[in-house]
Amino acid sequence: MSHVGRLHPISIAIREAAEIFSRMGFGVAYGPELEDDWHNFTALNVPEDHPARDMQDTFWIKGEKGKVLRTHATSVTMRKLEEMAKSGNAEMRMINPGKVFRNEATDATHEAQFYQLDGFAVGPTGSVTLAHLKGTFDRFYREYFGPNAKVRFRPSFFGFTEPSVEIDVWFEPAGKKGQWLETAGAGMLHPNVIKNAGLDPEKVQGFAFGGGLERLIMIKYGIPDVRLFHSGDVRFNYAFEEKKI
Amino acid sequence: MKVSLKWLQTYFDAPLPNAEAIADAYTFHAFEIDEMQGDMMDVKVLPNRAADCLSHRGLAKELSAILDTPLKTDPLRQPIPMWDIVSPTLLKVEIEDSKKCVRYMGAVVKSVKIGPSPAWLIEALEAVGQRSINNVVDATNYVMLNVGQPLHAFDANKLTQKEGKYAIGVRGAREDEKIVTLTGEEFILTQNIQLITDANTDRAIALAGIKGGKVAEVTADTTDLIIESANFDGTTTRRAAQSLKLFTDASLRFQNRPSPELAAYGMREVLTLITEIAGGEVVGIVDEYPAPVASLPVVTVSLGKINNILGSDFSCEEVENVFKRLGLDYASSSGPSTTTFTVTPPFERTDLVIPEDLVEEVGRIIGYDKVPATELPPLAGVPDQARFRGIERMKDQLVEQGFIEVSTQSFSKKGDVTLANPLDKNMPALRTSLENNVHEALTRAKLNAPLVLSPKAKLKLFEVGTVFPKEGEFVELRMTERVSEWGESAGTTDNLSVAKLEDYGKDYTPKRRTLGTYQPFSLYPFIVRDIALWVPTGTDVGRTTSYIQEQAGELLVRIDQFDTFEKEGRISLAFRLVFQSMERTLTDEEVNGVMMQVSEALKKAGFEVR
Repeated sequence: MSHVGRLHPISIAIREAAEIFSRMGFGVAYGPELEDDWHNFTALNVPEDHPARDMQDTFWIKGEKGKVLRTHATSVTMRKLEEMAKSGNAEMRMINPGKVFRNEATDATHEAQFYQLDGFAVGPTGSVTLAHLKGTFDRFYREYFGPNAKVRFRPSFFGFTEPSVEIDVWFEPAGKKGQWLETAGAGMLHPNVIKNAGLDPEKVQGFAFGGGLERLIMIKYGIPDVRLFHSGDVRFNYAFEEKKI
Repeated sequence: MKVSLKWLQTYFDAPLPNAEAIADAYTFHAFEIDEMQGDMMDVKVLPNRAADCLSHRGLAKELSAILDTPLKTDPLRQPIPMWDIVSPTLLKVEIEDSKKCVRYMGAVVKSVKIGPSPAWLIEALEAVGQRSINNVVDATNYVMLNVGQPLHAFDANKLTQKEGKYAIGVRGAREDEKIVTLTGEEFILTQNIQLITDANTDRAIALAGIKGGKVAEVTADTTDLIIESANFDGTTTRRAAQSLKLFTDASLRFQNRPSPELAAYGMREVLTLITEIAGGEVVGIVDEYPAPVASLPVVTVSLGKINNILGSDFSCEEVENVFKRLGLDYASSSGPSTTTFTVTPPFERTDLVIPEDLVEEVGRIIGYDKVPATELPPLAGVPDQARFRGIERMKDQLVEQGFIEVSTQSFSKKGDVTLANPLDKNMPALRTSLENNVHEALTRAKLNAPLVLSPKAKLKLFEVGTVFPKEGEFVELRMTERVSEWGESAGTTDNLSVAKLEDYGKDYTPKRRTLGTYQPFSLYPFIVRDIALWVPTGTDVGRTTSYIQEQAGELLVRIDQFDTFEKEGRISLAFRLVFQSMERTLTDEEVNGVMMQVSEALKKAGFEVR
C-alpha cells in the first residue's frame, strides 16, 4: 500500500518564504555552518572586543582559533557580497535560510540551534532604501501571515547595520485578537560591511534582515514550544492538518 | 536602566505625559521598555547608546528630543568650574597604565557628618530598586544614576598619609592577591584585574570600576572622604567583572565606555550633593588625565544622503528640527543639488561618528512610521533558487515514496570537531553523519507509528542536514532505507554539497503545502485495538468508520481501515483504533470498556463483529 510521507514544517515554511521572496527578485543562498571569525564577526563590523564574542553567546571550536558555529546567517550575506564584488554585479537580492547556533540555555522559546530567515538586497546608491525594506516585509508578511498583517519598525542596534530596526508584525490568528509581535532585526548595511566585502559604500547600499524562522512558524500555527522542531519526533510533522496546494 | 518617572520629571518644567505615552515615546523613537511598575520604568538602552543613556539625564535628554519639550537644565551643559582647590600637596594619584585608567579625579572632603539621607533621596533610590545606605554613599549612587558617572567614596582616615599626603594608585593586581569587598566577599585576583590602592602602603582598597573594598568603607564614624570620579577602560573592566563574576552598576557603565569628560561633571555633581546633605568642606581635588580627549570630530551628512538611505522625502527644516531637538550643534550649507549638515556631537554622544549615524537620528526622531513602505523595483533575470529547488526536489521525491522528514540536533557525543564550550557536556562534538540521529528517530518513531501511520504503511524517515567530518562540513541526505526506484547504485546517503543540484532544481517548482493550526499531541502512552466485522456488500466504509468514531468517543485519536475481503456475499472490514488521553495514562480496562461499547453499537446496527 503506497502512502505519502510528510515534510518537516521548516521545509514547508522555507518553501513559502522562498516563493514569496522569489516574486520580489530574491534568490536562495547557502553558506557554511562552521564559520570563520571574519564572516561571522569581523567583516560584519562586530569589533574584536565586542561582548558577542565572549564565551557565553558563541560556540567556539576546540583547537581551531577563530572558528565558530555561525551565530547568524548574516555570514552568508557577507559571502554573497564578497562574490558580488568579485563578479562586478551591481545588484543582488538573496534570502539565506539556515541553521544558526547560540550558546544559551534552552526553554520553550530558546534553542541553542535554530533556523534563521536571513537575507539582503543591495543595489546602486539610493536604489535600495529603508523604505524598500518596509515594502518588502509588508508584502512578505501579508502573503505569509494573511492580508491583515501589517509591519512596524522600531529603533534597534546591530553592528552590521546603520540605521538598525526591529521589525514587528501585526498578526491576527483566526478568531483571536491581533497583536504586534517582534519577528526580525534589520537595517541598512553598515558602510564598513560593504567596504569589507570589497564594494564601494559610496556606490552600493542595501538592507539586510534576519529573524528566527521557528518563531514565524510558531506564530502562524500557534506552536507553544520551539524544542519540538529539532527533536526528530515524527508526531510533530503530523500535528497539523496538511493540504497540498 | 531603571528610571523613576518622578526623577525624570525633575528635568522638565512642563508636566510629562502619562507612563504609557512615555513608554511609547521611547519604544518607537529610542529604546524598548522591559518592564513598567508604578513610577518605575525599565528601559532597555541599546548598546550604542549605553555610553550616555544609562542615566536619568541621558534618558531625559532623549525624551526631550522625542516629545520636543525642552530640558529645564542639563547638567552636562553647565560649564565645569575651574577648580580653585587643585591640590597635589594633599593627594597624589599614580596610574600604572593610562590605557586602562584614562582619567582619575580624586577629591578630599573634610569634616562630613555621616547620617541618614534626606527623604527625597531615599525615595529616589528606592524608586529604582536601590537601597539607601547613608548620605555619602547614597550621594555617589544618586549622581551615578543621574548623570551616568560611577563614583566611589573612601574613608580617608582608613588610608595612610605620607608627609601629610594621601596617595591613590591604580595598578594591575598581582597573581593571587586578595581583596575583601564592601559586602564582605573575598576575591582572589589575577593580573588582568585593575585595583585601586592606598599607594602609600600598596594595599588594595577597591576593584577598579567594579566595587569598593571593605578596608576603606565609609561608616558612621567617617569624617574625611576621598571621592573618586574616574574613567576605566571598557574592555578591561568587562573582562575583570566577567572573571570575578561580579557585575555592578559601575562595571556595566564602564564597559560601555562613557566619555572621560563625564568624570568632571560627575565630580562636580557629587561634591555639590555631599556638601549639601553631609556638610564638610572640599579641601583638594586632583585630576590625573594624561591624554585628555579632544572634542569629538564633526560629522557631515547631506539631505540627499538622508533621503537616499531612508527612502524618505524629508525636508531641510524637518532634519534641522531633529538636530535642534537632540541639542546637536550643526551648521547647514546649501549646495547646488542638496543641503549639507555639519554636526558637532556633544562630548557624551560618542556614538555619532559616520553620516549614517545621523541618518538614524533623523529616521528615529521623526519616526520610522513616517518612512513609506515601497516595493522594490523588479530585477532583471530570474532569481537564483536553483540549488534550493534541487534540494527540495529530492525531498519531494522522498515524500512521494512515503518518507517523513525529520530534523535532529547537530551536537553529538562524539565527532571530529569538538566545541570549546559545549552547552551540554555529554554532547561536546558536532555530528559527523546523520546516520545515528536518523536511526534513533526511527526507533522512537516506531513506538509512535500507530499514531501517525496506517497499519500497512512502512515507517521511513529522512533528514537533510549539515554534518562535520574531519574532511570538512557538507550537507548530507540520509534515509532509513534505500529507494529502490532510484536504481541499484542508490544507497541510503548522499552528499548534497557535491551533487549537481543546480541543474536538477533549475526548472523545478517545489510542491507547496498549507498546514492547519498546530494540534498538540499527547505525551501519555496510547493503546491500540483492532476490530473486524462482517458487513453486507454495498456498505459505505466511510460511514462505518464515522459511526465507529462516534461510538468510541474522544479517547479515540486515530482510526484506520486496513483490511477488506469478500466472502459469500459479505464483506469483512478490519479497523485499527488508537486510544490516547491528553491528561493521563489510559488503562486496558477503560479501553476494553470503550471497545465493548463499540461492539454493542455495531451489533445493534446489524453488523456482525468477528
